[in-house]
Amino acid sequence: MKAAVRIQQEDFSQDEEILALKASSRRMGGIATFVGCARDFSEGRDVSEISFDAYGSMAVSEMNQLRSDAIAKFGLLDARIVHRICTVTAGDNIVFIAAGAEHRVAALEACRWMIDELKLRVPIWKKEVTPQGEAWVSSHP
Amino acid sequence: MIKVLFFGPVVERIGKKSLEIGYRADMTLQALRDELALHYPHAFEIVCFFAVNGQHVRDLALPLADNSEVTFMAKFSGG
Repeated sequence: MKAAVRIQQEDFSQDEEILALKASSRRMGGIATFVGCARDFSEGRDVSEISFDAYGSMAVSEMNQLRSDAIAKFGLLDARIVHRICTVTAGDNIVFIAAGAEHRVAALEACRWMIDELKLRVPIWKKEVTPQGEAWVSSHP
Repeated sequence: MIKVLFFGPVVERIGKKSLEIGYRADMTLQALRDELALHYPHAFEIVCFFAVNGQHVRDLALPLADNSEVTFMAKFSGG
């Protein structure tokens, strides 16, 4: 089984990740997921590609800590975080987050919290390629 | 020797992914930051996070050990 926290170039399968999450506990009654994907428009400009750079070892360490923090904070039964580090185009998957809990509220709140925290804590940077040139993204709405 | 790593937008402003800086016994993260900022002021305009050996550091007074891996990072934008 793949690790619950990963950075990788290749795309991920949401079905496989959810199956892995479910396999961790028979008490799981609610699973919330978030998929971040590439858009073709940002800040008023067309975007043809998005590329990512990461401090890989620290990113994985921070994502593991983030998962542990979420499990403790929300009483989750399990959680998974996968982030792609590659070049993507519109519609491609970027990040997958799943939170599994006994009930829906903890799963939903934890999923939202994990993606918000990932943007603040995990050393990954996004560069957009536009007709006007390339630009590193500094905001994280 | 201190190994200094750069990523993403900081790499573009510095022009390289890493540097090696000679270790001094009294070296702090602040001293290293100030020394590099003199040489690469444009890059350090966007540096807002620091890591030593892969761990976030907020206290720039942290003394550095020989063979440390130090990273000066811009605001993150993953996800």
